[in-house]
Amino acid sequence: MSDAAENDRRAAGFAHLAEPSTADPDVVAMLTELFEDYRATRPAPGATVDLDRGLWARLEHLGLTRLTGSEASGGSGAGWLEAAALLGLSAAAGAPVPVAEHDVLGGWLLEAAQLPNDGGIRTVCRPDPSGVALNVTWARDASRIVALWEDRDEWRVADVPLDRVGLEEGRNLAGEPSDTVEFDLLDLEDGVVVAHGIGEQFHHRGALARCAQVVGAMERVLEVVLAHVRDRVQFGRPIGRFQAVQHLVSDIAAETALARAATDAAVARAAASDWQDRGMLFAVGVAKSCVGHGASVVVRNAHQVLGAIGTTLEHELHTLTKPMLARRSEYGSVHEWDETLTTLATSAGRDRLWTLVTTGRAKSADRADR
Amino acid sequence: MATRLVPPGVRELPALTDLRLEVRAFLAEQVRAGVFVPHVDTWLTRWDREFTRELGRRGWLGMVIPTEYGGQGRTYLERFVVTEELLVVGAPVAAHWIAERQIGPSLLRYGTEEQKRAFLPRISSGDVVFGIGMSEPDSGSDLASVRTRADKVEGGWRVTGTKVWTSGAHEADAFFALCRTTPLDPEHRHAGLSQVIVDLHDPDVHIRPILSMGGDHHFNEVHLDGVFIPDDRVLGEVGDGWRQVGSELAYERSGPERVLSTFQLLATAAQAMCDGGLPTDAGLGRHVARVAGLHHLSFSVVAAPLKKKPADVPAALVKLLGTTTEGDVADFVDLLTATGWVEDEELYTLLHAAILQRPGFTLRGGTNEILRGVVARGLGMR
Repeated sequence: MSDAAENDRRAAGFAHLAEPSTADPDVVAMLTELFEDYRATRPAPGATVDLDRGLWARLEHLGLTRLTGSEASGGSGAGWLEAAALLGLSAAAGAPVPVAEHDVLGGWLLEAAQLPNDGGIRTVCRPDPSGVALNVTWARDASRIVALWEDRDEWRVADVPLDRVGLEEGRNLAGEPSDTVEFDLLDLEDGVVVAHGIGEQFHHRGALARCAQVVGAMERVLEVVLAHVRDRVQFGRPIGRFQAVQHLVSDIAAETALARAATDAAVARAAASDWQDRGMLFAVGVAKSCVGHGASVVVRNAHQVLGAIGTTLEHELHTLTKPMLARRSEYGSVHEWDETLTTLATSAGRDRLWTLVTTGRAKSADRADR
Repeated sequence: MATRLVPPGVRELPALTDLRLEVRAFLAEQVRAGVFVPHVDTWLTRWDREFTRELGRRGWLGMVIPTEYGGQGRTYLERFVVTEELLVVGAPVAAHWIAERQIGPSLLRYGTEEQKRAFLPRISSGDVVFGIGMSEPDSGSDLASVRTRADKVEGGWRVTGTKVWTSGAHEADAFFALCRTTPLDPEHRHAGLSQVIVDLHDPDVHIRPILSMGGDHHFNEVHLDGVFIPDDRVLGEVGDGWRQVGSELAYERSGPERVLSTFQLLATAAQAMCDGGLPTDAGLGRHVARVAGLHHLSFSVVAAPLKKKPADVPAALVKLLGTTTEGDVADFVDLLTATGWVEDEELYTLLHAAILQRPGFTLRGGTNEILRGVVARGLGMR
């Protein structure tokens, strides 16, 4: 049988068995072009990273800053497949813009609380009972900060103007703005009560958004590494000819592929169920764990292959590796997520572990539960 | 778009899940009835021809073989989920594994009409058992260096040489032997190789056991002492053997058995942590995550449209990651376990077997070092 005939047979035979989950190709093409253009014109790497308002304006003009917002609220009405593409490609370009905070987290919280969204830059945080939130990325650049606050047994969402919070500037490992924000408790108490699952879902959304960003950066790291091993000549040949180097690079590719598969699976599950699938906790945990541990290998091997030049300020590599390490620890450390998965796995036990792996839930073997 | 080595993800739909649940229910019933005891690495170490035939009767063998050749005419995705279910429960599947995984697809691709009719119906019923005849005493990773020789004679070929690591040859009926039909040309090492279908019951075939380090007999040395192979038992084209084994290896490398050989150990360890028999350790979650990620990865590889070339790079990636992970599972449980620990005999039995099988995981079907080379070639480094 020819490959073409076999492909036709497969496509026909597979249609009722599995469906591809891929982002709208037009959106992906637009994003690819936009961020390739950005990468060609962006400023040289520095020790600190500041919001690029020019890029933000371009994103806004294209409807990308409110990509997943409902069209009724002024958003573009896209789903998580497209959002994940935006997060990945912007991270691959090292683009200093709050795409995760502003849209898939902040915009979503505002919609959940039925609060108006004027389109001004938002970031998000979960202040503690005293009203303080640590490590709030891009806080200084936001017009308002969307706070998700646990008030006794209720979750409240407050959209607080920047001039009403105390702000102590800081930076994360990546050199990005990562500030301490102190709210007036009265502002938080004025927040809108939202559905109970919002608090948990916020954590899952944040974790998966970070996964999408880290995987995008991993894929760019692989490109940077491949370009280097072709160009860099030692002992009279490109270093990519050495088996030891090939093996370091192959392991980057392998961990990147696994992190991509785990992240895509969670994104697909989120997109198909609008986050209502009861397997989301497991799916996000799998992504967070594969991405987090994979980042260890990718960062270590990439810096090993790039040699000393890869450790310099002028080189692109740290604009990828530092955010990867900063982001993998946000919305739950890798260890915390491993512990969550461990709890799910021990609860499933021997006879239900495979059900957990395939569905994200230990008890779903009966049809009625699907 | 950034470098992407694996196909995009796909979601399993209910029709596929129904098949999964049907197989799962049957297997649970078989375990309850004591037909088999779940074990690790059963696709190499657990033979049960009657169980294999029962799978054939239920339509879970020959799944991708067209019905006109006695198969089920189903899809690779359906075969994939049946395979996963058999592996995770540790069922005795070694007898049909090689035929189902690579011999059937290779016969479909390269076999003559007569060969298809001779073998595919019996593969689909589980009545004919195949082995692999690639490696030799002096040819492991460097497969093109095989020295088994086929000399042209009237009506066929005389094949002389020695194949090794032939799992189950002492139980099997036939294998494809990779041999030289023209002498080695050092400038064109991949030329002049051919595959022939050898009847392992032939009196000129001599099979000797190679015992594994635990004392078990899975592997064999197969000596071909001038075995006559009629012309109609050459597979595909004479001289095309290298390309044919390449596509056979792509089938061999991408399956879920490259991830799930120790799944019963992982699941039993989860149970032991729940029961207090093992300390609860976050490593469990980490390994479960990798298994789940690999489940998605290999599913997407199976579902992807065929390209002109075999899917050797995605297959190599799945095998590289998967065999490392399934071996790490054995080591993870071992690190949590004290010497002489017998509180849970079942866990100990699985762990003991997994530790002994582990070195083979990252060797068989292409070592991890060879696979990294395949990936490097796919990335343009070689």
